[in-house]
Amino acid sequence: MGLLSIIRKIKKKEKEMRILMVGLDNSGKTTIVLKINGEDTSVISPTLGFNIKTITYQKKKKTKPHIPFIGDKQFFNAVVNLMAVDSSDLRRLDDCKMELDNLLKEERLSGASLLILANKQDIKGALSPKEIAKVLNLEAMDKTRVTRHWRIVGCSAYTGEGLLEGFDWFVQDIASRIYVLD
Amino acid sequence: MADEEDALSSNPNEAPNHSEESRQRKHAALLERLANRHQTRLENSLTRRSADSDSSSSSPSFESTSSFLSRFADSKRSIESRIAQCRLTPTSESTQLKSNLDSISASISDLEKLVAENSYFLPSYEVRSLLKAISDLKQSLESLSSELVPKKKFIFKNKAAKKEKAPIFDSMKEKEPETDKPAKVGFTVPESPGFRNKTGEVLVREFKGSEIGEFTISDLDSCEVRLIGCVRALFAHRLRNCRIFGGPVSASILIEGAEDCVFVIASHQIRIHHVKASDFYLRVRSRPIIEDTTNVRFAPYCLSYEGIDEDLKSAGLNEETGNWAHVDDFGWLRAVQSPNWSILPENDRIGLIKISDPNKGAEKI
Repeated sequence: MGLLSIIRKIKKKEKEMRILMVGLDNSGKTTIVLKINGEDTSVISPTLGFNIKTITYQKKKKTKPHIPFIGDKQFFNAVVNLMAVDSSDLRRLDDCKMELDNLLKEERLSGASLLILANKQDIKGALSPKEIAKVLNLEAMDKTRVTRHWRIVGCSAYTGEGLLEGFDWFVQDIASRIYVLD
Repeated sequence: MADEEDALSSNPNEAPNHSEESRQRKHAALLERLANRHQTRLENSLTRRSADSDSSSSSPSFESTSSFLSRFADSKRSIESRIAQCRLTPTSESTQLKSNLDSISASISDLEKLVAENSYFLPSYEVRSLLKAISDLKQSLESLSSELVPKKKFIFKNKAAKKEKAPIFDSMKEKEPETDKPAKVGFTVPESPGFRNKTGEVLVREFKGSEIGEFTISDLDSCEVRLIGCVRALFAHRLRNCRIFGGPVSASILIEGAEDCVFVIASHQIRIHHVKASDFYLRVRSRPIIEDTTNVRFAPYCLSYEGIDEDLKSAGLNEETGNWAHVDDFGWLRAVQSPNWSILPENDRIGLIKISDPNKGAEKI
């Protein structure tokens, strides 16, 4: 019985998840991270390389590697991928789709849930999450045999709208998938 | 104490202690769970093995690249021939067609799994090319299925069952025409407001009172662009020999591809990609960045029009931050000054630019 209690204790400590956030430049990744952490978003310079942040969510702790360029092969064994999309940059949605397809092929991320943040919804003329899902052809993901939990959420890092909704979703999703052991 | 020990060692079923009983129950449940899991694992491996032996007589582990490659080529050929067959003899029976397609897709996934299982001994180049071949197969299967399977516009029932994971998009899927090639969805994005494909013109846009969030200027040659008022985002692509005078942009400006241009712009964030031989007069709240850019020069913002002060204030850009001189070159990571950009010498700078009446030209003061 001693061993069991030790294992239980370790499991409790383990409620930390790694989140990988990627997206094209100018899609607002740093802003999203800072906004959700409650930091000042008014003087953000474009990021070179990557940031790592730890976020506490309802008494749960998370580390958040945050990588600005998808080209970097610095993938971690993340349980969640966040992909930030600039909903107002219509021209580069194709690039975005290409990069997403590459990301989905990445073996080390094959079991991870995917949350797509359709950012910049506050800008007039931005595409809605539904339209973005169409452009990125997200339904095709369900046709493949490897099932992946995914969701797209419209948000605005500028106003903070929709961010919590997205984070709530993946915390619930991961909690139901991984921490099922009581 | 002695009682408990007795119970543990001799006859656990007759343990008198209450907590002991519940512990026993838990233990039994645990054992059962483990047994179940073991059983399913066994079954899985059995089915996998039988599937492998169905498709070919050789064992699933090869340990030799050439034999594996030849096996892979065989399976690939057979799948290709099945796809071709489906294409040549279209059956009117939709259920039969569907089962055909399903079985082809299943065998493609089996192939993929096979590659994954054996990837530990294959050279990485081979793995990559095999995966490429598999994705090609998938692509051709998808195009085939989109050709053969008619539109499934009005089938609601099995969709509801299938789409549990993303229920928000049920309605979308019905709208999407399935005859489109799956790789390139025929969804045209609406164009954002902007100036496009112009040569030798003076283009003026006044944003005051309009509800424009983003603005695009692209494919301009020898033009002068005047943007009066405040927008949220500005995109500029493929400009040649242009002069861009812009009011404050409250979110970000993305410039990609410009040559021999003059930009007078203000923004929260400015990103400059693939620009040659251009001058920038900036006011920017964070550090501007350049990438794949050569021979650009920077100077402070020098634009004025009626009411620019209020616009700058509302965009949070009324203060000169001095960041126009703190350019980050993402293609130059050394500590020394990047050769790609420089500060524009003061006597080369243009004076204060005043843009006012759209009918009059920009005038120097």
